[in-house]
Amino acid sequence: MLNGLDIEGDSPLHLMPVRGKLVLLFAAAIGLFIVSDLRILVPALGLSAILYLSTGIGFREALRRVRFVLFTVLLVAAANYAFHSLHEALVVFCRLSALVLLAAAVTATTSISAFMDEITRLLTPLERFGFVRAADVSLAVGLVIRFVPEIFARYGEITDAHRARGLPVRPLTTLVPLIILTLKDADTIAMAIDARGFRRH
Amino acid sequence: MDIVFSAATVTYAGRAALHPLTLALSESRIGVVGLNGSGKTTMARLINGLVKPTGGTVTVDGLDTVADEAAARGKTGFIFQNPQHQMILPILAEDIAFGLKNRGFGKAEIAERTEAVLARFGISHLARRRVHELSGGETQLGAIASVLVTGPDLLILDEPTNQLDLKNRALIERTVAGLPEQVLVITHDLALLDGFDRVLVFHEGRLAADDRPAEAIRAYREIAAC
Repeated sequence: MLNGLDIEGDSPLHLMPVRGKLVLLFAAAIGLFIVSDLRILVPALGLSAILYLSTGIGFREALRRVRFVLFTVLLVAAANYAFHSLHEALVVFCRLSALVLLAAAVTATTSISAFMDEITRLLTPLERFGFVRAADVSLAVGLVIRFVPEIFARYGEITDAHRARGLPVRPLTTLVPLIILTLKDADTIAMAIDARGFRRH
Repeated sequence: MDIVFSAATVTYAGRAALHPLTLALSESRIGVVGLNGSGKTTMARLINGLVKPTGGTVTVDGLDTVADEAAARGKTGFIFQNPQHQMILPILAEDIAFGLKNRGFGKAEIAERTEAVLARFGISHLARRRVHELSGGETQLGAIASVLVTGPDLLILDEPTNQLDLKNRALIERTVAGLPEQVLVITHDLALLDGFDRVLVFHEGRLAADDRPAEAIRAYREIAAC
């Protein structure tokens, strides 16, 4: 069942602890950037795709989530083909696409609150040195994911309002009200965070 | 639970948003009405310490909202005018769990309480929905659930039926009427105040009337007609 950024399921990736998934993703990223042999990179890409689909996400939704990033990867690969060689382009495409699919698989099998908990745990040792407040960083991650769709929706409303008034949609006249409204919302959101007991001590 | 204002004043940049207010509230259902900018929201935000009095004090169940801020806040839940702003996490069940985590509950209890509160408000089917995709009524119910899950004694709702259609308005009216918790509602929806114990009318930062609903609403209409 599709529920949000993560999907419910009991695939091996769902059952794996968040930290394990992040460590494996990090290791895979290093491995993919060390290797330049297509005999390894092509199967790695295939394996990443199988792993992503094994989460139970379904092909259409899986493609919908990564198509924009894969299109960007394709552009990067095309640039490599234009300026270097076909081999270099294929290496870049396989490497980056595999990484995108692996990251998407982790996202699809990990809830935001689990991510936030893990970030808090990982950063807590740094609190002793006064570098960060771990809970603040994890909350910031959660807030970004939560409010990005709101900001896009607000941008849509502003551009619709321009059209309704017969005004041309220009960056200056859309971004300025967007920033002002977002900052106004930020005040209320900060107040709501307080009201809901964050930083009680 | 007793809420006591003792000459509580709020001043912003030299302008009084709330003139000295002395008042004790203990009723189960309290309504607050008034024109825009009359001081209603400021008065309500004083109760859970979101706004600090610039003069006087406010106590909730004997706890000062400044000196005992965290403890006093734990006794009150607040629903904002736009409940979307108070949904902090993207998935409803995760957002409900957020308040419990902040209060140090363990994993098992968080799951149990979250499930129970979703069932209480009949929104178990929305547990894994993205909050920005919820309808107005669903968002309002989700926000109420996310606040009441932590067990406050008092729930403050700031214009809870604002921007809702008739169906969702009726749903929220029924929900508010059925809450066992003490409730303070700021509203322009006068039908919501049916059966309330006490209604406060604010005007230009002062308490202009304090009475049973019918009398208070009459006073409010007279103010609005001027």
